[in-house]
Amino acid sequence: MSAISVRNLVKKFGSLTAVDGISFDVEKGEIFGFLGPNGAGKTTTINILVTLMRPTSGEAYVAGYNVVEEPVKVRERIGIVFQDPSVDRNLTGWENLYIHGLVYGLRGEELRRRVEESLEFAELTKFKDVEVKNYSGGMIRRLEIARGLMHKPEILFLDEPTIGLDPQTRAKIWEYVEKLRDEEGVTVFLTTHYIEEAERLCDRVAIIDHGRIVAMGSPDELKQGIGKDVIYVRVGDNSSAARLLEGLNKGMLVSYKELNGVLALSVSNASKAIPTVFEVASRMGIRIEEIKYTQPSLSDVFLHYTGREMRDEEADWREVIRMRHRMR
Amino acid sequence: MNERNIIYAMLYRQLRRYFRAKSRVLGTIINPLMFFLFLGMGFSASMRGISAAIGVDYLAFLAPGIAVMTTFTASFIGGISVIWDREFGFLKEVLVAPASRTYAILGRALGDSVTSVLQTFLIMILIYAIVPSLKVGGMLFALGTCFITSLMFNSLGIAIASKMRSPEGFQLIANVLIFPLIFLSGAFYPIENLPAVVKPIFYINPLTYSVDLTRYFMVGISSLPVHLDLTVLLLLTAIFTFLSARTFNRTTLD
Ligand SMILES: Nc1ncnc2c1ncn2[C@@H]1O[C@H](COP(=O)(O)OP(=O)(O)OP(=O)(O)O)[C@@H](O)[C@H]1O
Ligand SMILES: [Mg+2]
Repeated sequence: MSAISVRNLVKKFGSLTAVDGISFDVEKGEIFGFLGPNGAGKTTTINILVTLMRPTSGEAYVAGYNVVEEPVKVRERIGIVFQDPSVDRNLTGWENLYIHGLVYGLRGEELRRRVEESLEFAELTKFKDVEVKNYSGGMIRRLEIARGLMHKPEILFLDEPTIGLDPQTRAKIWEYVEKLRDEEGVTVFLTTHYIEEAERLCDRVAIIDHGRIVAMGSPDELKQGIGKDVIYVRVGDNSSAARLLEGLNKGMLVSYKELNGVLALSVSNASKAIPTVFEVASRMGIRIEEIKYTQPSLSDVFLHYTGREMRDEEADWREVIRMRHRMR
Repeated sequence: MNERNIIYAMLYRQLRRYFRAKSRVLGTIINPLMFFLFLGMGFSASMRGISAAIGVDYLAFLAPGIAVMTTFTASFIGGISVIWDREFGFLKEVLVAPASRTYAILGRALGDSVTSVLQTFLIMILIYAIVPSLKVGGMLFALGTCFITSLMFNSLGIAIASKMRSPEGFQLIANVLIFPLIFLSGAFYPIENLPAVVKPIFYINPLTYSVDLTRYFMVGISSLPVHLDLTVLLLLTAIFTFLSARTFNRTTLD
């Protein structure tokens, strides 16, 4: 049985379709991520899965229970960290955790012990008696993650767990999440719009755009799915670019494109192809001004499937990116 | 078993929050106290006829009115915190919990009622000190009445607030409701001598019964039969509590 199973899920807000018929399964013990830009429908999906919103149509099962028919069964088995803070700012860290434990049925010594453990986990023991409104964003996030885990859920939902955090805190949270999977066997469903987060953390990723899943698989599968390395060669003008292209052995190119003096060469192995490019160029007396190659990232995968960028690239290379897209 | 936990959790939370905001505690007492002093002393000094007509000193007559006013304002306004919880996200923490929402909202209403009654108790101490003729023995029962009143109006506040999206909207409703309800409750003047046309307004106002019963306990006089007061209060409390639980149970993020 999958930890999460979703079939043809649709959620409409009036005329807007926020989630547009998605289906996917999350296996037990895996970290599964939704990667998508703002407004893609990530939070809406989470809200349905954690029983706080009713789907317009379709079905969703979490821990084997239908989210609409048996919401309490689902709630008993999940932990969630919402995108926006959901702690009581006027209470201390300790009080927030204490209340959470009570609400989830803990009591007495056991409750107090878990509160202390959670504070330790979040590295907030020193600040446990400080009101949360005086915490930094990172501290609040850690408190919320610790709180979401305090009742030992089978499945943990993390809606943009590291949004707005500094790189250090982000790395630490990634470590936490991996540890959870490896040591506790917790299933994690997370959403993110950070490419790096999806690549680094997720066993499998679903790329979501406009409420639809456009691609799904492990980060490696997704990257392999769109093909090869791309070498960008800037040679100054169009005619040299054309000449260089002439000189290159077409057999080594998967595809190519040239625009405004920049050649984008799609190859199966960039590290082997680059020396050849230099060789040919120097033989033909063409000066290479700049050369750069990229291995496909999830950002390319996103671009490939949606025709849009996930995030801004350096302005210089914006053109080639667009060109590369047209090349396919 | 878990029901007790969630009630206690919400009670605990409301109390913690209340005691942390010490300035608010003071602020909510000052208003009714000013009413008591300025209205009470002014009337009893300049219109001696009033006391004669009622049969007791006007300050004594007014005292239960002020007590109920304190309870009512504090508890009804307490409902607004549901909206703040929505704004600040804590509502989601409660909504996603596996615990019963009915008991969650009950715990919250109990918590708010305890704080409202505490506030009323503080006012009462001052009032009893100023008006020695009040019945000390009735104070506990008067506070009991205020507790029921508080449950009733806090639940009503929660039910209204759960439907609202903005604190301003609730504030508007509160402002429009609070003063008419207080003035049309017999808190400030006896309802016996009112013209027959306005009397029904008083009878449909739940506060009338709170004021009457509290006055019975604090002063020993009442305009209506005491068992009627009690029946109406308990019935309305049950209805409003049910309403707040139902709205809260149906709350989603849509
Ligand atoms: N309660 C709501 N009522 C109306 N529209 C909504 C509601 N919640 C979300 N939407 C809309 O649905 C779409 C999807 O929103 P959602 O919050 O799921 O996106 P997201 O992928 O989480 O994006 P973000 O990165 O901004 O968090 C958006 O266009 C949003 O404006
Ligand atoms: Mg979101």
